Amino acid sequence: MSDSPPVPASTVVLVSGGSRGLGLAIVTDLLDAGLTVAAFARTVTPELEKLADAYPDRVHVGAVDVTDLAAAQRFLRAVEARFGPVDGLVNNAAVGQDSMHTHTATADIARIVETNLTAPLQLTRLVARRMLGQGRRGRIVNVTSICAQRGFPGLVAYSATKGGMDAATRSLARELGGRMLVNAVAPGFFASEMSAVLGSTQLDQIVRRTPTGHLTEPAEVVPVVRMLLCAHTNINGQVIVVDGAASI
Amino acid sequence: MNELSRAQIRDLMAQVVRNQGRVLPDDDSTDLREIGFRSLDFSELALRVEDATGEELNFDAPGLRRIATVGDVLDFLAELQRQ
Repeated sequence: MSDSPPVPASTVVLVSGGSRGLGLAIVTDLLDAGLTVAAFARTVTPELEKLADAYPDRVHVGAVDVTDLAAAQRFLRAVEARFGPVDGLVNNAAVGQDSMHTHTATADIARIVETNLTAPLQLTRLVARRMLGQGRRGRIVNVTSICAQRGFPGLVAYSATKGGMDAATRSLARELGGRMLVNAVAPGFFASEMSAVLGSTQLDQIVRRTPTGHLTEPAEVVPVVRMLLCAHTNINGQVIVVDGAASI
Repeated sequence: MNELSRAQIRDLMAQVVRNQGRVLPDDDSTDLREIGFRSLDFSELALRVEDATGEELNFDAPGLRRIATVGDVLDFLAELQRQ
């Protein structure tokens, strides 16, 4: 293992939840960087369609629910048929939460766990099996959250899933023995969709406690994702927090 | 479904407040901050209503944030039982 060559930069990257917010920003950034990108989400938004039109030779999009493993598998095979082997995965698809644990319906807890933890583990397994089976090397980036490391009311199940993905990141990095680099990016709260679930008082508190004085923007996270997918580094099994030091 | 009336919910709320050594004012417009009624107190009250009706009451936080007065609490829980 000590003789393993470096894991090359990803060239064909699969992004789950790539239709809006951070996922869309990641897709856009990777395309700007010259990579080939396959993105799916429950709904293909006009913004994602626009990217597919702008880069017809480098983008493959589809409407896939990340919890539908068979559909994800079909999507992956279609991507491989079109672009060749996938050597990068960004697990970004997730659902949020905004309810006290005691008053969150059991079905909602199950849905959050299935979408944010089970589905990315399954997708990772799927992609890793393809990479290993073809003797390839690749990179995986899990988008987690500061909630995995700090407590926030109303986000119990969500935090548990993100903590689970942080833990999986470390074990995958070990298990995949340097044939794949597996890391996580943990953004702080965005002043957008996910943060809409927090009250203004909570958001104000977070801003006040953030040395950089502002909530995290997707544009501040995408360079880190790109670096983990493309740069020659020895970063593996790490969770990189992007929150302006709000949590330290 | 065994639905509680607004008055019955008020009685339960009074119990929750009384257990903390305070008194629930008669005026429904009383601000919850005046009586120190916080989100966990609301949760306790909702769970007491659940116990009485046998039906789970689940809700998101945004709805909770709109609650400012005693009357808001009673209206919210009365409405929640009907959903």
